[in-house]
Amino acid sequence: MAHAPAVAHGGAHVTSTGTENRKLLMWIFLGSECLFFGSLIATYLVFKHQVIERGIGPFPIDVTIDGKVEHGIFDIPLTSTSTFVLLMSSVTMVLAVYGAHQHRLKMMKLGLLSTMLLGLVFLGFQVYEFRTFGHEGLNLTTNMFGATFFLLTGFHGTHVGVGVLYLGSLLAASFRRNGLGRETGEHVEIAGLYWHFVDIVWIVIFTVLYLIP
Amino acid sequence: MAHGAEHTEQEHGLRPMQYVAIGAGLAVITIIELWISYADLGSLMVPLLLGLSAFKFVVVVGWFMHLRFDHRLYTQAFAASLTLGVLVTLALLTLYWGDAADSIRGYREWLNSG
Repeated sequence: MAHAPAVAHGGAHVTSTGTENRKLLMWIFLGSECLFFGSLIATYLVFKHQVIERGIGPFPIDVTIDGKVEHGIFDIPLTSTSTFVLLMSSVTMVLAVYGAHQHRLKMMKLGLLSTMLLGLVFLGFQVYEFRTFGHEGLNLTTNMFGATFFLLTGFHGTHVGVGVLYLGSLLAASFRRNGLGRETGEHVEIAGLYWHFVDIVWIVIFTVLYLIP
Repeated sequence: MAHGAEHTEQEHGLRPMQYVAIGAGLAVITIIELWISYADLGSLMVPLLLGLSAFKFVVVVGWFMHLRFDHRLYTQAFAASLTLGVLVTLALLTLYWGDAADSIRGYREWLNSG
C-alpha cells in the first residue's frame, strides 16, 4: 500500500528523514556554492600578492615603490557601509521569514520589500565602487588583481541581484490571489536561506579582501 | 492557542526583537573589525579579524538561517560541504602560492638581468 507523503505544519512536505526536501536541496546547493566562492577567494589571494610584488598598479593596499607611496584603491569606510547595509538586510529577511511562519502577511511583505531595497542599495554601492575603480584605471584586464577582484565581487553581486529577483517574485506572488498559500512559510524560509548565504559570503569577502592587508 | 503559537515560535527560532538584537550585535562586531583594521595590532590583527569573521558567520548560519533550531541533517549537509570548500581553498593556496612566489621571483630576476 502506497503511503502519502508526510506533511508538516504549514503544508511543507517532509521525507522519511524528517526533513523538508526542498529545504535540504537548498542547503546542498549552498554547500556547493561554498566550493565555488572558496575557489574564487583562493585565486584572488594568490594573484593579489603577485601584483604587489611586480609593482604593476593600481594596488589594493598602500605600497611603497622606489621610495614613493602608491595609495591603495580600496575605500574601506564605503565598503563598511555597504557591509552594514547587507547585514541589516539579513535582519529584515529573518523578520520576513518570521512573519511568514506566524501568518503575519503584512510583516512578511514589509520584510521582503525592505530586504529587496537594502539589496538594491548594496548593489548601488558596488556599482559606484566599480565605476570609481574604472576611473582609477583598474578593470578586468589591467592586472591579475583586477581580474580576480572583479570576478569574485562581480559574482557575489550577481548573487545579490538574483536574490533581489527571487524575493521580488515571492513578494509579487504574495499579492496575487491564491499566491503563497499553505506553503508560504517554507517558500520564504528557503529564499531566506539563499539571502543569508549571500550575506555570509560577503562577511568572508569583506574580511579577506578589504580588511586584511 | 497560546500554547500552539509558542510551539511554532520555538520551532522557528527567536522573537523579532531578539533577531534585531543579534543584528545590532553583528553591526557592532563589524565596527570592531573596522577599528582593528586601522589599529596597529601587529601579528594579532589577522587572527582577530578571521576569528570575528568566523563568529559572525556562525551566528548568521546558526540563528538567522535557523540551523541551531532545525533538523540535524541540514547542519550535516552544510558542514560537510563547507569543510570540503575550506579544504579546496587551502589546497589551492598551498598549490599555487608557491608557484606565484616562484613566478614573481623569476620575473624580478628577469627584470634585473635586463
